Amino acid sequence: MTTEGLRFPNGTTVVIAVFLIALPCILPSLTLASEILVLATGALSCTLLLGSVGLLSFGQGLYFGLGAYVSAILIRDFELTALAATIVASLAGCLLAAAAGLLIVRRQGVYFVMLTLAFAQMGFFLALAFPRLTGGENGFGNVPRTTIAFGQFALSNPLLLYAFLAFLSFAAFALVQRIVASPFGSVLNSIRYNESRSEALGYDARRFKLAAVTMAGGIAALAGAMNTLMLSFVPLSAIDVETSERLLIASLIGGVGSPLGALIGASVLSAMSDFLSPIWPRWSTIVAVLLIVTVLFLRDGLLGLGGVLRRQGKEMPNG
Amino acid sequence: MSAQVLIFGALNGVGIGMIYFILSVGLTMIFGLMQFVNFAHGAFYMVSAYAAFAIAQWTGSVLPAFLISPILAAIFALVSERLLLQRTYSLPHEAQILITFALAILAQESVTMIFGTLGKNVPVPEVFSGVLILGGFVYPSYRLFVVGVAVAVAVAMWLAIERTRFGAMVRAAAENAEMMGLLGFDSRKVFMAAFAFGGALAGLAGALAAPLRGVEPLMGREALAIAFVVVILGGLGSFNGALLAALLIGITQSLMSMIWPGGAHLMIYGVMTMILAFRPTGLMGRS
Repeated sequence: MTTEGLRFPNGTTVVIAVFLIALPCILPSLTLASEILVLATGALSCTLLLGSVGLLSFGQGLYFGLGAYVSAILIRDFELTALAATIVASLAGCLLAAAAGLLIVRRQGVYFVMLTLAFAQMGFFLALAFPRLTGGENGFGNVPRTTIAFGQFALSNPLLLYAFLAFLSFAAFALVQRIVASPFGSVLNSIRYNESRSEALGYDARRFKLAAVTMAGGIAALAGAMNTLMLSFVPLSAIDVETSERLLIASLIGGVGSPLGALIGASVLSAMSDFLSPIWPRWSTIVAVLLIVTVLFLRDGLLGLGGVLRRQGKEMPNG
Repeated sequence: MSAQVLIFGALNGVGIGMIYFILSVGLTMIFGLMQFVNFAHGAFYMVSAYAAFAIAQWTGSVLPAFLISPILAAIFALVSERLLLQRTYSLPHEAQILITFALAILAQESVTMIFGTLGKNVPVPEVFSGVLILGGFVYPSYRLFVVGVAVAVAVAMWLAIERTRFGAMVRAAAENAEMMGLLGFDSRKVFMAAFAFGGALAGLAGALAAPLRGVEPLMGREALAIAFVVVILGGLGSFNGALLAALLIGITQSLMSMIWPGGAHLMIYGVMTMILAFRPTGLMGRS
C-alpha cells in the first residue's frame, strides 16, 4: 500500500462505508451480501500482509478456521453473546498467528510462503484429528443465533445480522487503514521496499513482520467468527487450504494497493461463485485465468484497471 | 508394541518416504537451479496419477503407466514452461508463485472436468499383487517394488548429478547461471531439461502412488504441501536434505498411523514444527 499522503479517515473510508450500506440494496439476496462481507474481511488480512509489508500468505485460512471454531464453541457451549465471542475469537487468532509467526518470520522469501501453506495444512489436519472438538468432517453444528450483547438485538433478524457483520467488517477496514497510515505502517512499507536497508536504519524487520502477521491473524479470525454468525455452523472447509487460497485470490484480484481492493475482489469472487457455480461447477477455471491476467498485466488488481487503461491510451504498451 | 511391529512400520515408512523424496526432489532441483518456486509441482504429480488411472483402465494394467505417466508429466511441464512459466523468470518470486498456483488450479479443474470429483481406485499391478513374508510379517510386494524403484531412481539421480556432463552443467547453473551463460552454455536449455526432468520425477511419484492411495483431484494440493515440508526441512536445492527429510516424515507418518491413525498426517506437520522450533533453518542447517 502506498502511504504517501495517506490519512485516516480519508475518502476511501467513506467509500467503504457507502459500499457496505449499498451492498444489500443492490444485490438480490442478503445472504450474498453477507458472504461478501466475510470474504472481504478475510481477504483484508492478505491485503494487509501483501500490500503493506510484502508478505505472501497461503495460510490465512488457518486463522479464519480458528476464529470460526472458537466463536462457535463459545456461543454454543459457553453461551457467550456474539460480540464477546467475536472479540475472543479475534484475540485467539492474534495469539495463534503470533505463535506460528515466531517460527515463520525467521525464514524469508519463498520459505515464508511455503511455511504459511504448511501451517495451514497442519490446522486442517488438526481439526480433522480432533472431531470431538470440531465435529470433524461433519462440521460443528447447532450454533444458536445469539444476541449481539447483553441479551439485546437478536441476530435471528437477518437485517440486523447483516448490520452487525457490516459493523465488524468496517471496524476491520478502518483498523487496517489506521495501521497503514501510522508510523508503524511506514516502517512496514519500508520493509516491503527494501528489507536490508530498513534493517540498516535500525528497524528489526522480523519484529515488524511478526506484528503484521499477528494483526492479520486477528483479522482473518474475525472473518471466521463472522462466518460462524452467518452460517450458525462451521464446516470443515472453513479451515482447509482452499479457504486460504480463496482469501488470497480475492485480495489479489481486487488489488492489494488499497483495503478497498479486498472489498472489490471479494464482491467479484462471491458474485462469480453465486451466479456461475449453478451453471458451470468448474468456474474456478475462470478465476485461475483471471489470476494469471492480474499477475502478468494488472499488478494493482481490478482496482488498478483504470490506471492501466489510462496508461495504455497514452503510450504504446511494450510488455 | 513389539520391536517387530516397529520395524515393520519403519519399513513401510521408508516406502512412503521414498515416494515423498521422488516427489520433492524435482521441486528442490528446479529451485536450486533457477530460483524458481513451482506451485504447480503437485499438479504434475496429480495429472500423472490420473494418467496412470486412465492407462490402467485402457490396458488393464497400471504397469505401462510407470513409463508413460512420467513422460506425459514431463511433456506437461515442458509445455507449461514454454507457454507460460518462462515469461515469469524475470518477475519476482511472488509472481512466479501465483502464476504456477493458477496453473495448478487449471490442471485440477481440467482433471475434474474429465474424471469427475470423486476419487477412483487404481488396481495394483498383478505381478505385485501378492505378499512377501518377511520374518513373520506379511509385506505387500507392491510396496517393496516402490521402494526398489525409488532407491534405483535416487541412486541414478545422484550418479547423473555427480558423474555426468549434464549433471555438471546442472550444478554449474545452480551455482551461477549467468556465469555459465557467459561461458557459452545455453542455460535456457538446461532450465528446460530441468523442468522436464523435475516434472517426470513428480510424475513417477504420482504413478507409483496411484495404486497405493487411489486418485482424486485434491491429491495434487496435498502432495504440494508434503513437498514443501520436505524442502523446508531439507533446504531448497539440497539433494541429501530432501532424502533425509522425506524419509523422516515418511517414517513418522507410518509409525503414527499405527498408534493414532487420525493424527498420522497431522504429525508430519507436528514434526516439522518441532524441528523448526529448535533448528529454524531446517535439518541441514544452512540459511
